[in-house]
Amino acid sequence: MASGVQSSEGIAMDRRGFLRAGLLGTAALSTISLGASLSGCATTPAGTVAHASGATAEYRFLTRDDLVLLRALVPVIVAPGLPQDPTARQAAIDGTIARMDQGIYFFGPANQHELRKLFDLLNFSVTRVTLARVWSSWDNASPEAVNAFLNRWRDSNIGLFNKAYIGLTKLTNVSFYGYRTNWHLSGYPGPPQPELQTLPQFQAS
Amino acid sequence: MSKYDIIGAGLAGGWKVTDASTLTANQVVEADVVVIGTGAGGGTTAEILAAAGLDVILVEEGRLYYQKDFKMDELFSYSHLYQEGMSRVTADGGISILQGRCVGGSTTVNWTSSFHTPDPTLKYWADRFGVKNASHADMAPWFANREKRLNIHPWTVTPNENNAALQRASERLGWAWAIIPRNVKGCWNSGYCGFGCPTNAKQGMLLTTVPGALDKGARLYHGLRAERLVMQGDRLSHLEATALDQDVLNPTGVKVTLRAKHFVVAASAIGSPGLLLRSGLPDPYSLVGKRTFLHPVNATVAIMPNEVNPFYGAPQSIYSDEFVWKKGVEGPVGYKLEVPPLHPAMSAGVLPAHGEALYEQIHQLPHMQSIIALLRDGFHEESQGGQVSLRDDGSPVLDYPVTDYLWRGFRDAYLTMAEAQFAAGAKGVRLVHMDSPLFSRWPEAKAAIADIPLELHRARLFTAHQMGGCGMGEDPKTSVVNSYGEHHHVANLSVHDASTFPTSIGANPQLSVYAFAARNATHLAGRLTDKA
Ligand SMILES: Cc1cc2nc3c(=O)[nH]c(=O)nc-3n(C[C@H](O)[C@H](O)[C@H](O)COP(=O)(O)OP(=O)(O)OC[C@H]3O[C@@H](n4cnc5c(N)ncnc54)[C@H](O)[C@@H]3O)c2cc1C
Ligand code: SF4
Repeated sequence: MASGVQSSEGIAMDRRGFLRAGLLGTAALSTISLGASLSGCATTPAGTVAHASGATAEYRFLTRDDLVLLRALVPVIVAPGLPQDPTARQAAIDGTIARMDQGIYFFGPANQHELRKLFDLLNFSVTRVTLARVWSSWDNASPEAVNAFLNRWRDSNIGLFNKAYIGLTKLTNVSFYGYRTNWHLSGYPGPPQPELQTLPQFQAS
Repeated sequence: MSKYDIIGAGLAGGWKVTDASTLTANQVVEADVVVIGTGAGGGTTAEILAAAGLDVILVEEGRLYYQKDFKMDELFSYSHLYQEGMSRVTADGGISILQGRCVGGSTTVNWTSSFHTPDPTLKYWADRFGVKNASHADMAPWFANREKRLNIHPWTVTPNENNAALQRASERLGWAWAIIPRNVKGCWNSGYCGFGCPTNAKQGMLLTTVPGALDKGARLYHGLRAERLVMQGDRLSHLEATALDQDVLNPTGVKVTLRAKHFVVAASAIGSPGLLLRSGLPDPYSLVGKRTFLHPVNATVAIMPNEVNPFYGAPQSIYSDEFVWKKGVEGPVGYKLEVPPLHPAMSAGVLPAHGEALYEQIHQLPHMQSIIALLRDGFHEESQGGQVSLRDDGSPVLDYPVTDYLWRGFRDAYLTMAEAQFAAGAKGVRLVHMDSPLFSRWPEAKAAIADIPLELHRARLFTAHQMGGCGMGEDPKTSVVNSYGEHHHVANLSVHDASTFPTSIGANPQLSVYAFAARNATHLAGRLTDKA
């Protein structure tokens, strides 16, 4: 994201802009989307990305800016379920983000468009500051700041923010707790053994 | 027996099945009847028409997935078997829409509960919409006919603890309850109905009527989206369809033109009105897409002292109809009580929280019990349902306002469900609502529910039952099709699916769809073979 956009003007917009976006709803969001693409936010899918954990993933929806954003959000949303070991932890975060991308790919154009607007709003510094009220860029945002942001949107009396909170957390929680490596966190033992042992689709051919 | 792979064998044995993603050139094909959609309505219709000797083509937007693909994997199923990769919601995002998109439609992922259309519903349709020949006595043979075809019987195995809790609560509180009839044969009681049945036990359209039609020579195109029905004079001349890639997302560029004497639309609520709107078919009273109903659902979760394991066992086997009609057909909204299966992704997606708050809830999944209330919408002035319209790209979207009348029903239902869970022995009960704490006693829950803010997004709402939008009736001023699903203004067009219901059903709809589709297809077969 171009750093020049982080003007004091944007910050001054604060409360009024915050309310206006709530009231104007998606109309405001699409303007922001436009602002984001004009301001130099990445707008194309990240493609093949080699993660720090060593794994590579193919991104068909998420942009490089989205990846920076989600590396800040995901660890806070699923914090208690992440492994302690730093390498394993990073791999779990990267894997979750990669699965989020796969899930979103199958959402199809309409809901991808909705998510694009939400991610652009969070990536674009002016709206990050005025609407999410996160002051530092996502790669510098502390877990406390991220958590406070999530709680603000959750507890807001503006329905649009509640909806966005649900969008972000649902996508993350499903991709994390729904994945086999993390089943133990919910106490789910996995599919029953008799099926796994006898049904043809589970036998190596 | 239930392990027998009917689809694999049929494909090897010469069924005429075309995966549209593999087509490399535009095609024109012809049949007596083109059936659009292979779900409850389309599958039933195709088998009956093919058995009557008609040449049938089935068109399905989703893909053909079957036993080899059904590995009890939640994430795969949601992405591949559900509309919009399980992200479908109402226009304002307030209600999550669960709907199938694959061969077999929603019946491939549904939970197998099979109920007759309730009597008060049939009476209301006759009184309000002039629906003919659809009284309880008229329909009884069609229910029996489908119960036989789909092996529908009350579940005889002991209910899992998730369902047993609803039974126990109902007994203790003196509420009516009963065992649910299911369309299964040799069911393993596994609990994975929502992901595509891995054992071939579920008698959905994928393993019954679709194979039945293919055995009789019908042709199936999957991965093919019905785009537009094209009129010539006062009749339809053909259907324009778009081939989709292997992920069923993007058009490959190949177009298929399907000509037929008659067209049956069975793309379900949301899908069927969408197709009619895209096609710009005559709609002089602007009715298409209006009065779309959802049986909107709210839910509570309880923590039980003993293990519930809500991910195992037939997902639904007990229900309570105590509150469906109690306050009158046209009174405050009634609701049916059932339980949902809970697997990790579903649970993580439904509970509105993050961080420690979510972890605290989800790590107790083995002890979690849940109840859902399905609101009977469409029987009141203040419950006129939603409206389907088209997005810029032509895809359908549903705007469904949640009225104060419905909110009152949701509040009543929260109270009922919490009371039931405490009666069943819950240590704690939580509403699936952003503002709900875990209540530890019934009086505490009761007091708090009276004041809990009922707002979109904060109260989590769902639907697995979409109905209406092409309502039936005898008056063209208030209905899109007649009592047999025949379009009022287009001579060779019928609609045979849940979109034809003038209100919601007031019970899980699949057997209503089957029975009406069987009746209407038999009527249509008579008409078409007479002329031939
Ligand atoms: C998770 C879940 C659980 C359920 N549980 C139960 C239950 O236990 N009991 C019960 O009675 N009901 C249940 N239902 C609902 C029930 O399955 C549906 O009400 C029923 O299948 C509706 O029948 P239909 O023919 O209207 O639509 P569907 O069965 O949904 O079939 C419509 C088909 O049309 C296709 N289609 C749509 N648009 C197009 C197009 N443009 N071109 C080509 N094809 C198209 C779709 O892909 C789909 O395959 C459940 C539903 C879900 C999603
Ligand atoms: S409970 Fe299991 S075996 Fe029975 S119908 Fe459902 S998925 Fe199939």
